[in-house]
Amino acid sequence: MDPALHCVDLGLIPAEEAEVLRYAQWPQAAAIPEDLPLAECLRMAEGRVRCRAVWRQYPLIVTETELDLGFARTASHSLKKHLEGCKNLLLFCCTAGAEMDRLIARAQLRSPLHGLLMHALGAQQVEGACDRLCEALARSFPEHRLTPRFSPGYGDVPLSLQREIFSALDCERQIGVTLTDSLLMRPGKSVTAVVGLKSC
Amino acid sequence: MTLLEHLRTGPFFLDGGMGTLLQAAGLRPGEAPEGWSLSHPDVITGIHRAYYEAGSDMVLTNTFGVHPLRYPLEQCEAMIRAAMDCAFAARAALHDGRERFVALDIGPCGKLLKPLGTLDFEEAVGCFAQIVKLGAACGADAVFIETMNDGYETKAALLAAKESCSLPVLVSNAYGSDGQLMTGGTPASLVPMLEGLGADAVGVNCSLGPDALAPIVQSYLACASVPVLMKPNAGLPRDEGGRTVYDVTAAGFAASVAALIPQGLRILGGCCGTTPEYIKALREAVGGTMPPPLEDKNISAVTSRSQAVVLGQAPVIIGERINPTGKKRLRQALAEGDMGYVLNEALAQEERGAQVLDVNVGAPGLDEAALLTRAVEEIQAVTDLPLQLDTADPRAMEQALRRYNGKAMINSVNGSEAVMDAVLPLAKKYGGELVALTLDEHGIPDTAEGRLTIAERILARAEALGISRKDILFDPLTMPVSADGQAARITLDALRLIRERTGCGTVLGVSNVSFGLPARELIGSAFLTMALQAGLTAAIMNPCSDRMLGAFLSARTLLGHDPACAAYIDHASALSVQTAAAAPASPASTPNAAEPEGLRRAVLKGLRGEAASRTRAALDAGQEGLAIIQSEIIPALDEVGRGFEAKTIYLPQLMMSAEAADAAFREIRAAMGGQAEATRCSIVLATVKGDIHDIGKNIVRLLLENYGFAVTDLGKDVPPEAILEAVKRLHAPICALSALMTTTVPAMAETVALVHKEAPWCKVMVGGAVLTEAYAREIGADGYAKDAMGAVRLAETLERSALFT
Repeated sequence: MDPALHCVDLGLIPAEEAEVLRYAQWPQAAAIPEDLPLAECLRMAEGRVRCRAVWRQYPLIVTETELDLGFARTASHSLKKHLEGCKNLLLFCCTAGAEMDRLIARAQLRSPLHGLLMHALGAQQVEGACDRLCEALARSFPEHRLTPRFSPGYGDVPLSLQREIFSALDCERQIGVTLTDSLLMRPGKSVTAVVGLKSC
Repeated sequence: MTLLEHLRTGPFFLDGGMGTLLQAAGLRPGEAPEGWSLSHPDVITGIHRAYYEAGSDMVLTNTFGVHPLRYPLEQCEAMIRAAMDCAFAARAALHDGRERFVALDIGPCGKLLKPLGTLDFEEAVGCFAQIVKLGAACGADAVFIETMNDGYETKAALLAAKESCSLPVLVSNAYGSDGQLMTGGTPASLVPMLEGLGADAVGVNCSLGPDALAPIVQSYLACASVPVLMKPNAGLPRDEGGRTVYDVTAAGFAASVAALIPQGLRILGGCCGTTPEYIKALREAVGGTMPPPLEDKNISAVTSRSQAVVLGQAPVIIGERINPTGKKRLRQALAEGDMGYVLNEALAQEERGAQVLDVNVGAPGLDEAALLTRAVEEIQAVTDLPLQLDTADPRAMEQALRRYNGKAMINSVNGSEAVMDAVLPLAKKYGGELVALTLDEHGIPDTAEGRLTIAERILARAEALGISRKDILFDPLTMPVSADGQAARITLDALRLIRERTGCGTVLGVSNVSFGLPARELIGSAFLTMALQAGLTAAIMNPCSDRMLGAFLSARTLLGHDPACAAYIDHASALSVQTAAAAPASPASTPNAAEPEGLRRAVLKGLRGEAASRTRAALDAGQEGLAIIQSEIIPALDEVGRGFEAKTIYLPQLMMSAEAADAAFREIRAAMGGQAEATRCSIVLATVKGDIHDIGKNIVRLLLENYGFAVTDLGKDVPPEAILEAVKRLHAPICALSALMTTTVPAMAETVALVHKEAPWCKVMVGGAVLTEAYAREIGADGYAKDAMGAVRLAETLERSALFT
């Protein structure tokens, strides 16, 4: 493996019920009825989802007309604004893995509501994994401040940037994430993002 | 000695890393090493020669990254030819008379196979086959498949190698620190599949240093009957001023690897970070140590992507429910291509403790070959239970066996010549646990000895083809005791006799014994107990029957396979919970069960169980099903729908109400004997091609069904032609499409245009995260719905307009 690529096993992310319900669009104030099969979904998934990530550092070069991200060039204004003042960036792909997709398919077979809740759990898992990764990255770069994550599809960053990200991070071989011709990620609960490094 | 004999004797030395040495020789980061066979042949030849001189018996060609998915075929050919020439030149330069070998090296193709990725299994097989043919034509002595981190891709590469050449094939996988392949395989699940496909050696390389890999190698040694190989990294890499360095020295590496030879390791080398110095040290550390002789571990196992079920220890349950014989609803589902029904049967049996699932989709008028393959793929996407492929059609069997991820059970062969000729070669080629029925062209012998004679004949034929005895299980055939009072006794006698004389495992489909009798499970469970007592290896049975499962678990406990009776106690306590739940509710808990207000409230609150019980009570009290729907359920759904539109009710609450209504509908349907299924028009529903999001589509389906539409759900990633086909077949007045991504809206537009052109009567409604009213008009849709309630309202409008145009 290219030593510039870092594979991280993020392990098990605790399932936080309140977060899962938020992703399921459960109204915050509403009482949770006994019939809501949340506990059942969490039990189905317990101990089965292992989150993984791969990341790599790149120098950032800003010119009048474009950004050289090290793995691709883009004219995106919103990303330029987001990375203002950064000389380096971290690119990562994080996934809740194929097991999460299998769990969603299994939950969906029980009922659409199980499916919705398992989707929400998947979202909570991959977002939790991204948080855990970014905390670890922040510790690895103590001299820097990390910007929030910025993903293709945000602002004017085109989804097609995914192609460059996938070849830069070798996602398919490193952590088993595939990009389809329609630019969807498989497993579905996966996130790619750029984080800027600002000197403190 | 032939190469195969060398491998089976050992110790046999492979080479070490290539990339590390190329970097030292000036390979730039990101530059492809395989290109150097053409641009710097002297460097490549020099590396091979250094390994031979250090003591390698076989080197791997510089072809790891050569793959038809990455390079045009002519370039693949040029690189393979050049790489082989480099290895041959290195070998020819040495004149010490020692025997040396060259293996064609094959790495992963870099793409994940479906369903995890996008690469089709047969396409992968085809690409690997091209590499193997080129290498074999150049004169390779062996094929070395390495660094594979997905079992399914490993199968594709190994199958391609076996189909394209007759050279020895060595297979090496790359494991993570959790002891699993990236896609979830373990040595126990992988080795039976690789041996079944004919791998000549199996093992591990890369990923970790020798000490971290040792436990994985030990797992291989515990279950592999073929030679085991190991090619670890020189520890973990780190970046030191732009150079990659590894933390295990040559001496430490050699000591760790050599220590595994007395345990049975016989093929050894190094991977990333190792150099000729490491191989030299390894040779010295091994000295004259010889591994113990190779022995057959005699393990009978069926496997899936990640699980292995060993046969011949505790008895095993094979779930029988995926079989359309006598099941009208399943036959209908298969005819309509509704895999949801099949998948639900799979999960239900898994929850009840089935360890293997029988899959039979044969019914008149169906394309069994296509259907069996599809069923196998879809079932394997949701469960890790190994499968038993059950078909009498050799073509269906072969197609499904090829694509099966793991080592399957093959059900079945029998003693008739034609069937043996068709099925035994499949078992030999693809591997599998073969179920052999003790009947032949003359029928089923009515004595135990007669069945034994057929078993012995099948066994002789199978062994002559090279199929191992451990991979054969005999089915001495259960016959209805109602037709012949001696039938069960003969079957059990045959079971004992075959077990004693052949040493092979046994299988019985137990349900057949009770055919034609009342209270079938009563006598069926007794027969099951007796068969287990007689030594049955695996029972094909219905795990969803309490009585059958109870008999199985009790017998298993009594036969000593349930330490501390744990499984039995679990089952018994689950039973008592069920009994309590099924007991008639006390009048106090449901004061006005038949009271309509109660039902409306249950749907509003999303109380599934209560909605069902209140509907049942209302029906029992003599109310008409349709009246209950019109006066209670629909008004409740409307109220919830209005709340959703007014944003006082949220999506999960809407879904809970919809599911409660669904539970009420089921009761009404059951009471009406399955009639009056749908009261409104047909709707064909699908997520468009290229898009795999289906959560929104599934919610829409649930609500449309609530409102009485007859929904045909084609699933996700559905090509336009398939959608059109369904619209035409059903003459559906409405087609509803979902797309979540800007990148899949073009496929939606294409579908809209196709349906409008070829099925002009059909109105197309669309929805999905990226769509808007304007966008929907732009792609030519007849209507846009922003959410599931909107879809119901729109469908009602479109239905009216369809009826009046």
